[in-house]
Amino acid sequence: MKRFSQLAIPYIVWGILLIVLPMVLIAFYSVTEDGNGIISFTFTLKHYIRFFTDPDFLLVLWRSIKIAVKTTLICIALGYPIAYFIAFSSDRIRNILILAITLPTWINTLVRTYAWIGLLSEGGVIQQVLNIFGLGHEELLYTEGAVLIGMVYNFIPFMILQINTSLSKMDKSLMEASNDLGANGLQTFLRVILPLSLPGVVSGISLVFLPAVSSFSIPKLLGGGQFFLIGNVIENQFITVGEWNFGSSISLIMAMIMMATMYVVRRLEDYSRGGDKERE
Amino acid sequence: MDMDNNALIQFRNIVMSFQDQLVLKNINLDIEEKEFVTLLGPSGCGKTTLLRILGGFLEPTEGKVIFDGVDIAKLPPHKRELNTVFQKYALFPHMNVYENIAFGLKIKKMSRDVIEQKVMKMLKLIGLEGYEKKNVTLLSGGQQQRVAIARALVNEPKVLLLDEPLGALDLKLRKEMQYELKRIQQEVGITFIFVTHDQEEALTMSDKIVVMRDGTIQQIGSPQDIYNEPVNRFVADFIGESNIIPARMPEDFKVRFDNHEFKCEDQGFEPNEAVDVVIRPEDLDIVSEQDGMMTGTVDSVLFKGSQYEVIVETVPGTSVTVQMRVIDDKANEVSSADGKERISANDFFVDIEDVKALDDKEIIARADAQAWDPGTDEYASISSVKYEIKAEAGSYPVTFSTSGGTMIQKTIHVVNQPFVRNEATDEAIMAFNFFKTKGELSESQTLDTDLKTWANAQAWKLSNEDESVDIYVDYDFEPENIEAGKSYPVKFMTEGRELKIRTVNYVEEGARVGLRLDPDDIHVMKRSAG
Repeated sequence: MKRFSQLAIPYIVWGILLIVLPMVLIAFYSVTEDGNGIISFTFTLKHYIRFFTDPDFLLVLWRSIKIAVKTTLICIALGYPIAYFIAFSSDRIRNILILAITLPTWINTLVRTYAWIGLLSEGGVIQQVLNIFGLGHEELLYTEGAVLIGMVYNFIPFMILQINTSLSKMDKSLMEASNDLGANGLQTFLRVILPLSLPGVVSGISLVFLPAVSSFSIPKLLGGGQFFLIGNVIENQFITVGEWNFGSSISLIMAMIMMATMYVVRRLEDYSRGGDKERE
Repeated sequence: MDMDNNALIQFRNIVMSFQDQLVLKNINLDIEEKEFVTLLGPSGCGKTTLLRILGGFLEPTEGKVIFDGVDIAKLPPHKRELNTVFQKYALFPHMNVYENIAFGLKIKKMSRDVIEQKVMKMLKLIGLEGYEKKNVTLLSGGQQQRVAIARALVNEPKVLLLDEPLGALDLKLRKEMQYELKRIQQEVGITFIFVTHDQEEALTMSDKIVVMRDGTIQQIGSPQDIYNEPVNRFVADFIGESNIIPARMPEDFKVRFDNHEFKCEDQGFEPNEAVDVVIRPEDLDIVSEQDGMMTGTVDSVLFKGSQYEVIVETVPGTSVTVQMRVIDDKANEVSSADGKERISANDFFVDIEDVKALDDKEIIARADAQAWDPGTDEYASISSVKYEIKAEAGSYPVTFSTSGGTMIQKTIHVVNQPFVRNEATDEAIMAFNFFKTKGELSESQTLDTDLKTWANAQAWKLSNEDESVDIYVDYDFEPENIEAGKSYPVKFMTEGRELKIRTVNYVEEGARVGLRLDPDDIHVMKRSAG
């Protein structure tokens, strides 16, 4: 075993170069002055102070978290019934449906988001349909709704697949046992199926919330200039404004928020599995 | 519905099919209150399907399930007054022992203190007091089993259904749980319907056993009835160990088998009707040869702890002996002129009746004809087989050749081979003399099987030519020490009649003994197909 473990060395080197080094650089940039050279630099916390004292940035952060939470909730609300239906279908139908769910992810996110611009734009298909019912006066594109549609559309497959996995793994005789003990369909769902599928929901949450809170291409394309999220702020700092140090500090703040979220989600998962805390 | 029948559960003409496959064929069964009933049968007999129909998890294709006077065939499981203990327990993994047992009571919205009282009573019944906070996934198999039983019984069902509940436990625990289940059933005083494929389990626990096979009920009765009076060969074979012997009934209270006539207590068969006789191993007594009603040779003695299991051969098997002629390796081989190809084949015997069935392939196989390159050991194919043969006794030449032109000539001996008949055992056996080289003999990995193939040995039932009988081989030579040019006898034989006997007295293997049995030890059954 010892000899084989040496084979991992190239991968460790590779991993350091590709993952650790950029992270270290971001952390380094976030606590140094702008315009530093390689040899001379000064440490500072002013980027962090700037972010937390500017109400505009905090508002954007708040908006980002809000929209990520909304996206996640919609994904659960829509994804759970779909996953439930898939999990209790026959094998053949299940395979077809899972293929249908994963198929869109084979196409680049940007391309699919552009497609939504076409659908939602003035005179687009959706507005025309709404016009028929006399509802088409509202602007669709470049609204929070458009951004939400884009995000849910992009991230819901992850939620469905996670929930479906935990539902399919479930021993079907548990449902029979519940029925047998006098519980009707709804009671069986609430007392047996739902609690046992929570681990799937929880891992679905982490797969949807994390990319949603930091996404920048979807809000940029579907939200236009009006709907600025934290991902767009970071992108701007690097690409338009050129303040790499400030951009790095915002990225690091986001990373912290995500780590905190992951921690909460993990705890939720432990809790939802129940009983485990009793393990001596 | 029939009015004078007040059995608690009545299955009436139950038919169940899954995708054109008939799993239950017209099942009629009554189950009384407070009975311990076992549905017994091999896997795939439909016993679990019948239980699931009663539990409400399957709706029968046809028929009625009458429970307490009402047809419940279409009622969903949660509206039925019965509970199930599932094969793998199906305990809810996200609940502890207490919550699992309390599940049904909470659904019924009972008050907290009533629930607590009932759950505690159940924990006491199953002997798991103090376990209420334990995680069910961390319990042992036996404890999970008990929790599953408590979870079902706490609802005070009229009937408890148990679907092979002991299958996952080890042997010792299984025995313990058998007593435990019986005790619980007697204590709570309700009907238990138990599904198993284990006949011993069924005999130990049941008041009534229902033996099933291929979706039909074979026999219903008490363990004693089923054991002592099986209705057919299947039941006799499935329940306990038994000697099953084909016999005839010349008249009432008399049965004849293996050339002996015995008194028995059975009647009501046609004169001389073909029947099957069951004799349980513990009912046969070993006595001295002159005191025996039958005599035989002790074939084997196995020590089984409290008893010996003795096999006595009362009727010797049918045998035939043939000659194996050993030939020098070179006599059967021809090499091509350039030495690059070699061909070999054997003379062989064939029965007149089988001549018509001979074709090139069959002849190559029977002669064991082969061609190969001696340099590389690669096989070459035999491209032509030339022969002229008539369905008359005699010797006929056959020539095998390869595409390279190497050829060998051998002889097919057509003979009128008699077969050995044995009316007593209803068997016949036949085999042919054969030729083999020393090389082929020493290369054989499975000599017994090869000898049977080479001699084309076959045995069959006289009453049914399509039913083959197992053949054993006996020979006196050692394959390493055989000499070319000599003949060796090879004996093929059938098993004969062997009776299994359980006794506490030791007997010597190979001894001649007599066997006795009383008229009530013989149970005569109708001959059934299969």
